Amino acid sequence: MGLTNTDIQNAQGAEQTDGNIITTTIDKVINWGRKNSLWPMPFGTACCAIEMMATLASKFDLSRFGSEAIRFSPRQSDLLIVSGRISIKMMPVLKRIYDQMPDPKWVISMGACASCGGVFDTYTLIQGVDQFIPVDVYIPGCPPRPEDLIDAVLQVQQKITSGASPKGVEHLLET
Amino acid sequence: MNEEKEIEEQPKPLVLQKLEEHHADALLSKDETRGTVVVVIRKEQAYAVLEYLKTDPELAYTFLVDVTAVDNSQMESELMQFDYARFMVVYQLYSYQGQCRLRVKVPVHENDLNTPSVTGLWQGANWLERETYDMFGINFEGHPDLRRILMPDDFEGHPLQKDYPLRGRGERESFNFDKQNA
Ligand code: SF4
Repeated sequence: MGLTNTDIQNAQGAEQTDGNIITTTIDKVINWGRKNSLWPMPFGTACCAIEMMATLASKFDLSRFGSEAIRFSPRQSDLLIVSGRISIKMMPVLKRIYDQMPDPKWVISMGACASCGGVFDTYTLIQGVDQFIPVDVYIPGCPPRPEDLIDAVLQVQQKITSGASPKGVEHLLET
Repeated sequence: MNEEKEIEEQPKPLVLQKLEEHHADALLSKDETRGTVVVVIRKEQAYAVLEYLKTDPELAYTFLVDVTAVDNSQMESELMQFDYARFMVVYQLYSYQGQCRLRVKVPVHENDLNTPSVTGLWQGANWLERETYDMFGINFEGHPDLRRILMPDDFEGHPLQKDYPLRGRGERESFNFDKQNA
């Protein structure tokens, strides 16, 4: 997708003078780029991951929204999709992966288990990953439909366009 | 029309015949559920009996399908049967030769959780016994590497024991990243 005048114009605060000169801010252009090329890091630990795979495959085709470049290296990705149950033994691994991702980074907590433990209210399961890593978008459902995951990606995109900071850095900005 | 055939007594399974012949003193009970022979044997002779089951050329239970345990502490009827042994270690065996399954149970008392490891007979018992140790606290004597396998190394307690609270003892709220990562 090429950068067209309309795209830039649509970005809030951009102005087009006549001819080929466009004025905007560098933040807006960068955010526009970020938004359309989110590189997800899949953290699929259970049944929700099957829906995530469906979302990425041809039928639902997440690449329509610019997020098809799945990276299994956290160092190359900026969107963490936590899909599945996280046990107390897995949580340090998830935290380490989150820490390895470069800023700015966003987190989607997919499904009831990742968001609140779901039906597994037991000794071994983390009752919501947001106790340990900041989560930007939660998806309800057990499992959520692929459309729900697409919607979550779109919400992350909206968040980026609006210029809001990811959950992970908000606390840094406050101090 | 088939009535006569149905009441006709089934021949005694070979494994029971042979166990009664060779290890009658170890046999605490014998039963048959849904086509599987179930025997309960004394812990002291457990290793010898399992070895016999594996090596006897006619039986040849060469495949150890699973090792697990049952905590009967809330099953009064089960407890009474075997002298109030709280745990029952269960071995599922399969014989390719005879194409039949066998369930061997070994009662283990709470005050003596030791039971012989069968890793010497079946290499595959290694992880199965580790899991049973992790979940129930059964101590398999002679196991080469009896560590936890499912729960984190610093976990305390054995969660499938019936008195372990379902929601845990606070470990899911209080665990320490640094300790776990070390
Ligand atoms: S929310 Fe439901 S589908 Fe998703 S991981 Fe949990 S149990 Fe599986």
